Amino acid sequence: MKAVISGTGIISAAGFNLEQNLGSLKVGKRNAGPVSVFSTILPYPVFEVKSLPGISGKEEMRTRSLTFAALKEALENAGLQAPLTGFRAGVCLGTTVASQLNDISFYTEFRKSGSADLKPVDLFLKGNLAESVACSLNASGPAITVVNACSSGTDAIGMALSWLKSGLCDIAIAGGADELNRVPLCGFGSLGILSGSLCAPFDKNRAGLNLGEGAGILILEREDFYIKRGGKPSLYLSGYGSYADAYHLTAPRPDGTGLESAIRKALSDAGVLPEDVCFVNAHGTGTLDNDRVEGAVLERIFGSKIKFLSTKGYTGHTLGGAGGIEAVYTAAALKEGWIPANAGFECRDNEIPITPVTENTGIKGSFALSTSLAFGGNNSAIVIEKRR
Amino acid sequence: MFISGIGIVFTRGRGIDSFEKALKEGWREPSAGELVPAYRVDQETLTDASLSKKIRRADRFSKMAVLSAVDAYRDSGITVNERNKIGIILATAFGPHSTTFSFIDDILDYGDASVSPTKFSNSVHNAAASYVSSILESRGPTITLTHFKFAFQNALILADSWISEGRCDHVLCGCTEELGTVMEYACNMKLNIAKDGKINPFAFSDSPVSVPGEGSVFIMLSKEKGGNNYGKVAEVSFSQNIAGNPDLFVIDADGMNGDETGYKEIINHGAAIAGYSPLFGSIPTGSAFNFAAAALMLKNQIAYNCVFQDNPFVVKLGVLTSKKDLNEIYCIKICKPEIKTIVKLKK
Repeated sequence: MKAVISGTGIISAAGFNLEQNLGSLKVGKRNAGPVSVFSTILPYPVFEVKSLPGISGKEEMRTRSLTFAALKEALENAGLQAPLTGFRAGVCLGTTVASQLNDISFYTEFRKSGSADLKPVDLFLKGNLAESVACSLNASGPAITVVNACSSGTDAIGMALSWLKSGLCDIAIAGGADELNRVPLCGFGSLGILSGSLCAPFDKNRAGLNLGEGAGILILEREDFYIKRGGKPSLYLSGYGSYADAYHLTAPRPDGTGLESAIRKALSDAGVLPEDVCFVNAHGTGTLDNDRVEGAVLERIFGSKIKFLSTKGYTGHTLGGAGGIEAVYTAAALKEGWIPANAGFECRDNEIPITPVTENTGIKGSFALSTSLAFGGNNSAIVIEKRR
Repeated sequence: MFISGIGIVFTRGRGIDSFEKALKEGWREPSAGELVPAYRVDQETLTDASLSKKIRRADRFSKMAVLSAVDAYRDSGITVNERNKIGIILATAFGPHSTTFSFIDDILDYGDASVSPTKFSNSVHNAAASYVSSILESRGPTITLTHFKFAFQNALILADSWISEGRCDHVLCGCTEELGTVMEYACNMKLNIAKDGKINPFAFSDSPVSVPGEGSVFIMLSKEKGGNNYGKVAEVSFSQNIAGNPDLFVIDADGMNGDETGYKEIINHGAAIAGYSPLFGSIPTGSAFNFAAAALMLKNQIAYNCVFQDNPFVVKLGVLTSKKDLNEIYCIKICKPEIKTIVKLKK
């Protein structure tokens, strides 16, 4: 059984849809600046989605609005219409912020008086990402939200692949979404891994990550089902691998063996060799540890000539959304035959044995890899294939 | 997949023996609280000298998860040499919310730039699974899932996929929930709390009563039969009609998800009905606790007494703890309007 990627949808600081996103990547546009969705004294730049239609203050959870914007595009792209009544459709989405009741106003009121208006709780209870999407689409298959920190989106896509392979559903809506929120901004700030300037993944002088927000959604279908409904497959989700570091809550295992196992598993799951991969869309957050470990592992598996990049210089680190967004970019790059320059990269780091692409670069080949590393020591990778 | 070990932390202690003892002894009053009566886990239960160094920075949520997961691994008696072949799945509805609020306390008290990185890293949902993975040195896939109603059932489906695809030989699959101050407040405002502390699983009411609880259950699921044999998971399904002739239904009615009239569907199926939520409380992932009870019954070939027998529909209840030939048990969760899950366990 092969899993077709029949549709993609994306929203990020780089644009409201795939076309706008690719346009920003093509010209190297980096829409970062001070955060405006909440107040903070922290000076770190963020990649915020400005003026998103449909977001109106507290009436809707921002992550849900971002999700539904990307979902709409993905469904249209796949030639599907909501609701999905009558289809065996599953929903598997990753997030971090939407899984937490971290409404500071609510908690401030509760702390003061021991009681508080429960509207934020109601909003939270309606906002489990997969549950709410499944409900809105009347999807009758499995639905679950993956909360695996920064690998949530990639793991959600991998989980959806398992569902399709095992015949649990014919269609799977998979990806990830996250909003900018004061709690993680303070948290990442406390860890000392936020950059005061624009992030520079894999650069010698990288100083940390920038937070971002957005959503990336893939519509996945069993190939036989997709062809039966008149589709002509052009892209496939071919492999997934995930392994744990069993090392530290916030730092990657220095030898990178967890990530290496995840990548090798994704490749074997797809039935391909490292030399078959024409580029890697790396996690590349711009932190010292992540990029050093990831760079070393990529070189170890793919050799020094591998074309790779991080797209976080265009979107920021969208946490639970990153895996979804980067899967959409990876699929689009394979289809269009080019990858953008690794934004922010200027100087090679001698501790990283390979160098990302520094300009928009043509690619030839049928397979690409997207990686995610996460808090808790999770490492995940997916292989996307273009039909030959 | 086979059930080869169970670990549990709940209001009456730690370990499968404590749970078995509770099943035999029956109901106990919940602890009183400022807002609600509840089945809370006391601090002493979460103390473990052998693990204290490894979990010294862990929050309460992670400690519950770690202790139950480690116990499930030990209970299985299996020594896994290939650490890449153990997967971990932790399913939860609300995650470590108390740590999130404690982190927000820091923001409010000390400002955005002076908060604790340890609290932040523990507030992330997958911190608990990460502790488990580090302590057991398990290097296989490790994932945390959230769903307000069917987290455990989805976790079982994923575990089965991982084992079927050959990603894992064993999966530690569990659920953890904590009951913090804010959650107690929300429960008090949103649920129909049983002021007498008595959950009534067989009332099948459209406005059932609940008594909040907390705890953690981990199940060691294995590709091959081995370890401490509790039977096997034969099937997990959503929204299908209840077919077959199990020896017993175990229902997840606990007042947590509102309308429970959907359970009336099983009254006329012939098999006896049981449900053990009065022992551990109303928990969004209480299905894992009932699953543990069902597995224990299959292993011991004992049907445990249903602790409350207020039985307005005169359903066939297991009223006495007694030896019984049990070959198949269905664990059922029904949430109105129509969503129903069936987990079929076989001897």
